[in-house]
Amino acid sequence: MALRTSHTFLALPLFSLLLLGCGQGKPVDFATEVQPILNKHCITCHGGVKKNGGISFLFQEEALAEGKSGRRAIVPGDAHGSEVIRRLLDDDPGQRMPFEKPPLSKAEIDLLKRWIDQGAPWGKHWAYIAPEPVEVPRLPQQAGLVNLENNFIRNDIDPFILARLQDTGMTPNEPAPKEVLARRLALDLTGLPPRQAWLEAYTAGQISYEALVDTLLAQPSFGEKWAGWWLDLARYADSKGYEKDNGRSMWRYRDWVIRAFNDDMPYDRFTLEQLAGDLLPNPTREQLIATGFHRNTMNNDEGGTEDEEFRVASVLDRVNTTFQVWQSTTMECVQCHTHTYDPFRHSEYYSAMAFFNNAMDEDTPHEDPVLKFYGDKEQQSAAAIQSWILKQGRPEAAQQFKNFLLYNEPLYQVHHAKNFVNGELSDTKYLSLWPGGSCHYDHIYTGGAPNLYLKYWSYHNGTVMTLRKDNEAGEILARFPIDKTQGEVIRKIPFAVVTDSIRLFIQAENPDLPGQTGTSYISWFAFLPDLPGEGQPGYAQIEQSFQELLNAETPSVPIVIENPDYMRRTTRVFERGNWLTPADTVDPATPAILNPWKAEWPNNRLGFAQWLASPENPLTARTIVNRVWHQLFGIGLVSTLEDMGSQSDPPTHPALLDWLALRLMNENGWHLKALIKDMVLSGTYRQRSESSPEQYAADPENRLYARGPRLRLSAEQIRDQALAVSGLLSPKMYGPSVMPPQPDGVWQTVYSNEAWIESQGEDRYRRGLYTYIKRTSPYPSFLSFDAGSREVCTVRRTVTNTPLQALVTLNDPVYLEAAYHLALEMQQAGTAEKAIAEGYRRAVFKELEADKKLALSELYAASLAAFQSDQEALDDFMGLGRHPDPELAALAVVANAILNLDEFITKS
Amino acid sequence: MSRDPLDRLLEELRLREAQARTRRHFIRQCTTGMGGLALSGFLASCQLNPTESLTAQTGKGPSKRDLNPLAPLPPPFAPRVKSVIYLHMAGSPSQLEMFDYKPELAKLHNQACPQSLLQGKKFAFIRGTPKLLGPQARFEQVGESGNWVSDNLPHFKKVADEVAFLKAVHTDQFNHGPAQLFMHTGTPRLGRPSIGAWVTYGLGSENQNLPGFVVLTSGGKNPSAGKSVWGSGFLPSVYQGVQCRSKGDPVLYLEDPKGLSRDLKKSTIEAINKINQAEYAQYADPEILARINQYEMAYRMQLAVPEVMNINDEPQEVRDLYGVAPGQESFANNCLLARKLVEQGVRFVQLFDWGWDSHGTDPSTAIDLGLRNKCREIDRPITALLLDLKQRGLLEQTLVVWGGEFGRTPMQENREGKEMGFLGRDHHGDAFTMWLAGGGIRKGACHGATDEIGFAGMEGRVSVHDVHATMLHLLGFDHEQFTFDFQGRPFRLTDVQGEVIKEILA
Repeated sequence: MALRTSHTFLALPLFSLLLLGCGQGKPVDFATEVQPILNKHCITCHGGVKKNGGISFLFQEEALAEGKSGRRAIVPGDAHGSEVIRRLLDDDPGQRMPFEKPPLSKAEIDLLKRWIDQGAPWGKHWAYIAPEPVEVPRLPQQAGLVNLENNFIRNDIDPFILARLQDTGMTPNEPAPKEVLARRLALDLTGLPPRQAWLEAYTAGQISYEALVDTLLAQPSFGEKWAGWWLDLARYADSKGYEKDNGRSMWRYRDWVIRAFNDDMPYDRFTLEQLAGDLLPNPTREQLIATGFHRNTMNNDEGGTEDEEFRVASVLDRVNTTFQVWQSTTMECVQCHTHTYDPFRHSEYYSAMAFFNNAMDEDTPHEDPVLKFYGDKEQQSAAAIQSWILKQGRPEAAQQFKNFLLYNEPLYQVHHAKNFVNGELSDTKYLSLWPGGSCHYDHIYTGGAPNLYLKYWSYHNGTVMTLRKDNEAGEILARFPIDKTQGEVIRKIPFAVVTDSIRLFIQAENPDLPGQTGTSYISWFAFLPDLPGEGQPGYAQIEQSFQELLNAETPSVPIVIENPDYMRRTTRVFERGNWLTPADTVDPATPAILNPWKAEWPNNRLGFAQWLASPENPLTARTIVNRVWHQLFGIGLVSTLEDMGSQSDPPTHPALLDWLALRLMNENGWHLKALIKDMVLSGTYRQRSESSPEQYAADPENRLYARGPRLRLSAEQIRDQALAVSGLLSPKMYGPSVMPPQPDGVWQTVYSNEAWIESQGEDRYRRGLYTYIKRTSPYPSFLSFDAGSREVCTVRRTVTNTPLQALVTLNDPVYLEAAYHLALEMQQAGTAEKAIAEGYRRAVFKELEADKKLALSELYAASLAAFQSDQEALDDFMGLGRHPDPELAALAVVANAILNLDEFITKS
Repeated sequence: MSRDPLDRLLEELRLREAQARTRRHFIRQCTTGMGGLALSGFLASCQLNPTESLTAQTGKGPSKRDLNPLAPLPPPFAPRVKSVIYLHMAGSPSQLEMFDYKPELAKLHNQACPQSLLQGKKFAFIRGTPKLLGPQARFEQVGESGNWVSDNLPHFKKVADEVAFLKAVHTDQFNHGPAQLFMHTGTPRLGRPSIGAWVTYGLGSENQNLPGFVVLTSGGKNPSAGKSVWGSGFLPSVYQGVQCRSKGDPVLYLEDPKGLSRDLKKSTIEAINKINQAEYAQYADPEILARINQYEMAYRMQLAVPEVMNINDEPQEVRDLYGVAPGQESFANNCLLARKLVEQGVRFVQLFDWGWDSHGTDPSTAIDLGLRNKCREIDRPITALLLDLKQRGLLEQTLVVWGGEFGRTPMQENREGKEMGFLGRDHHGDAFTMWLAGGGIRKGACHGATDEIGFAGMEGRVSVHDVHATMLHLLGFDHEQFTFDFQGRPFRLTDVQGEVIKEILA
């Protein structure tokens, strides 16, 4: 196997630059030299969207083919005879390319000529070739470097970084002071400041840096911190989105993510369970919850909306999100046309969509399928039913009944009704037939089951519903009365045995009701066999428990379940991405440019997930490595986190990216804790983050890592940290999302009675991760600090500065309460001077320097003077319902200032 | 009884217009089309940074935008207006009772709708064969333009010559949430920036003590699509609309906590900034300078926002002009606030008025009862807004846009196929009316026409993208060049469509 060292890789662009002036010789590399020129100057008009003159440079076969003129743009081996060169050099402005744009430079044209003369060898963009083994660079032993290495090089990451720094004549910073590093590390690993005891043990040299890392990785708060990052990608929220934006009980998925990070679930497993947990053999309850990843798509309950339109929107979002999250690929572009720059064809989008298009959920108000959580007593009943069926020797039936109890599937949603006479979908959701009303359903398959299950409610007695085969004259399959119900019920109804797929005709009669009155409102219907063992003692009891369980009120979480084969959907290409203009039918397939499909994978969503998580996939490991790196260093090795395609920013350290990707898959067995540990143990991570204006100007984004990371904390971290340093933070984990105080009137929801009901007790002080996220009205202080509204996948949050943020940390009651509690802690230190130093140290883990001390002391003095002469100001101070003495109030003002310092809301 | 201040102002403006034509022409020449008088701040800030623009921010070191992301930037082309007031009637008003006069529809009243119109069409609530519903208002031709306006808008008739009508706007969305998103973000799905965010990103704001993009709502509810219609999507969140509220803090967390005087707040911010300066000396990170600036701005905003949001200090004459209701949430208050805000240099003021969804399910949504009331609620304030802007010389540098997220059907709604208790119209996206007024707009223009029953656009059809392209054009942008890179590709407000509607440009 060819070993590629970092040096040759890095030097490649440099060599080619040198060679530009030298004429022949060195082979031109397509991906790094030719493709950037084509992408920059040509492909907008000759690529995936437009193929002017019949010419495209996107795929090799297109580029070498004849254009409309009959001439070939590229004739391999013959630059002189290639139309592209002729047109680049043409003197006639109407002929010369790029059309009506500045001409290419001589160097660029010469490069293209040489490439064509060399046979125009095509190549793949680096990111579409799986990483190959990389050697850690051996640095030349230079005088004076030994010391530097001793300080800087801590593990194999560092030589990659140092090599690049040496190339540019830069030197890395010294290691950061222990207390600075400990704060940085704790915030990065757990999202919280370090505990006092750990900090002391570490600074006193009682525990090593690595031991501190291990301790932090083992904290439950580790999972909370990293789940927060993943939930942005997963577009997790507590509401459904769109107009009604009603609540959705999704928190069990959030808790699953926290546990997965804390258990250090390997990333390949993490991938399989979220994308296809339902298709794993005998999926556990946890694996079903994991599929909630793709139930975070929005659900439109607005009256008058067509469910199919929004079901399709969800499926498209699942495709886009999957490629965004795992492949750093902008598949969204391919939804409407072949990718402008990257070799993904329009039809390949829909082939990928075919894997996702067979899920049961259909944008219905109940969000079926949902996984039900039965209480203890109900679980005993369910277990009794299971063992009854197994005792009858019917394991496959046991599974069928178990699944139906767990998530009521498979079933038919009523919105597929056709040919309404005297009836309609009420609120475009529920089947509502009026007296004398009818409709029908096509392609209903009962599997010969003798029981119909109907979920419905009715306000009226005396309706008779008749179900027939084909039409109003067809064979009667079921006839039954419908009376007034107490709310919605699931009811079993005898049904004639039919084995084929049928057209089901439904009619309703009720002589007592006036016209245009709904006889009942039906959500769905399903077909099930009889419970086995009829006639045996105890059967009636089992049957009754089954019906009771179906009607039990349970908590639930939306999950993804695959349709059975007889309900499988056909996937078609949408012209221009529009679901109303379906074209060719496609089968499930993965994009050809990426790793090949293996025969052993099932041809479904599970196989797709296996394809993603396979070591041959060139993008999965690189993507996760790049994003974890971004979490720690504030910028990716590929800075365009969203995109590793040919328009992406080239990696600053390509060999390191590949080395990390391979190490993750091979040595580290896909364990993210190991990956994170590698990164934080590096000397690169441990540097001081200071710089001089000159150093800053030389590398403002810190892309070469001559200093440590310095980044503003996230919205949730800023709040968590304020609560933590003031001792208010609740350690409570998991459970339904909470509603900490927010100003009145922030929620103004159309057609919904849902309200922000302020949480009580410790739930007011939970980590930000547990704050209820309503998509159309997110928690305002998080929104100010750049948290999104979780409508779509967010790969990174743009960090902004606005005065509204200052208003939050200065005036939001949460921060005032934190300041007050911090002041109480400060007071324990004794004198005002000591108290101020203590407050600063608690917040930023540093000793207070003289100039800062002066500023805070002056503030304290001014505050104290003000409060001593203004008793009224102390009454209900800061709206906290307290009446502090002037000294405490003055300390609270100082604490408020400390919680607003740049160094407090920044990790450095 | 004294004369209505509206009429008085109207007359005064007519007089002034005749006298001032020459003078204003001169001013416009000198300020490259910006018009207006209150420009000293704008010009000064331009001179500070004469070359900086959004596309030319490639230099090293902190730019003006790094320190303050709302710093004003000149647009790439000469603009006709510098701010926007967008009046959105959430729920969608009926063009057939306001501007699109259809005498033929009156003749066909109560007749079954021809099947040819229904084929292949989707409606939100109409099922089967509905009946046609004649206009439930009287119309007349008004002003020099002779454009049609209904009796529902008696005041607006007096200023109808100021506006340019688009009579055949179309959208492909017929549900509120998606249609509102489409109207404000250029796509019916969530996740894209609103037009106000785009504009604020592109131009910054003229007043650093106020948010650059302000949202005011009335009618008791937020628009169906929620805060996303003024969201920043993938643009930095600093460009999202800031909702200024009539009750509680006008801007969230604006008010100082109890017990902290302004002096103490000043001392607090001074202490914070002193320490942050020391921090900058150590780290040389311009992010810290931005933080210092941010705290100074917050302090100033705490004074400026309550001041601008206070309508009680306006002269009685002005309050009567708009018909404001101090202390309450009202569309009239919001119109007056919109004027105050653009006067102070706010870039984009977005109003949403809820309650225009005239389905006929109850009296408040009946096309003859509820709609008339809603029209009454906006008639005076909108007329006052246009006149007030004009008398202050602001109309020439402001773009006022009026519309809903779609229009309404010429058919009477028969929800779920049933007859309904009140007259109503269903959602309809094929043809509806919007109007624009202000700088660069051809006064009294009427572009586009619908068929004889107002069902489909027959000529001059324009899309939502076209409206956006036109708005951006007036602000000095080529909508095809105004892009932002996200998820690896350039995005624009108008996606891959949109053409400037030249027919309504002056």
